[in-house]
Amino acid sequence: MADTGRVRIRLPSTIKPGEVIRVRSLIIHPMETVQRDKQGNLVWKNYNFIHTVTVTYNGKEVMRGETTQAVSQNPIFTFPLKVDRPGKLTITFLDTTGKSYEGTAEIKL
Amino acid sequence: MAGEPVEKKDWLSRRAFLRCLGAALALTAAAKEFLFGAEAPGQAASLGLPLPEERVEATLKRLFGNRPLNQDEGKVKLELPLIAEDGGNVAVTVEADLPMTPATYVSNIYIISDKNRRPMIAKFSLTPEAGKAYIATNIRLAATTDVRAVVEMNDGILYAASKHVRVTISGCGDVPQS
Repeated sequence: MADTGRVRIRLPSTIKPGEVIRVRSLIIHPMETVQRDKQGNLVWKNYNFIHTVTVTYNGKEVMRGETTQAVSQNPIFTFPLKVDRPGKLTITFLDTTGKSYEGTAEIKL
Repeated sequence: MAGEPVEKKDWLSRRAFLRCLGAALALTAAAKEFLFGAEAPGQAASLGLPLPEERVEATLKRLFGNRPLNQDEGKVKLELPLIAEDGGNVAVTVEADLPMTPATYVSNIYIISDKNRRPMIAKFSLTPEAGKAYIATNIRLAATTDVRAVVEMNDGILYAASKHVRVTISGCGDVPQS
């Protein structure tokens, strides 16, 4: 997919200090599942899927996800974040080909 | 020196030499991957190779040992459709009525599907800065199965919830466990 790696982050429009918000992230990614050949044997190859998701806020890790091929294609992750002060939210996705994709969002109060 | 004719013989041999060099390098790289790619631990190349099948009892044992799952405590709310129209895209939400203070907090949320070839679908690690024990994502289910959410506290105590999901179209395109 030419679009692979595109990240979209959704935040609430208004955020009050101290509020726990829900952040929704979407990344375009094939999340390849295991294939079998005509004989029913596993195709032995390196499947391309995201294995780690890291969320940092103002440089501090808030959430980490270990994901597998059983997470859907173009996965969505919705996670909580307690916002005490404004800052920069960074979500990083690592896949099994060694590629790293990143999305950022500024949170203003 | 412009205008001087270059000897054809020189060009041919130089090109041939570069071609051989390129082929030799490619062969070395391929050979290396063949010899070390699959076996060497920690290599990025091996991260996407298929892992062996595992029954859910073995997965639970591997992740949690003999710790009780405390499924009847009602602390974990697990939202899933009763019938999944597309097994490849099943929305799941896990929310736990548990503290997120620096002293006591939910450190991990596991999503497990009993009938998937590898039952553990995802593991989310949280910190108190998350503010709430919550996660939502979309997953693939191989067949009609029980889906479990296991919530782990920083002190190791577990709480869990389970829901039965009917899957009409398999999400894995792969043979599920019987």
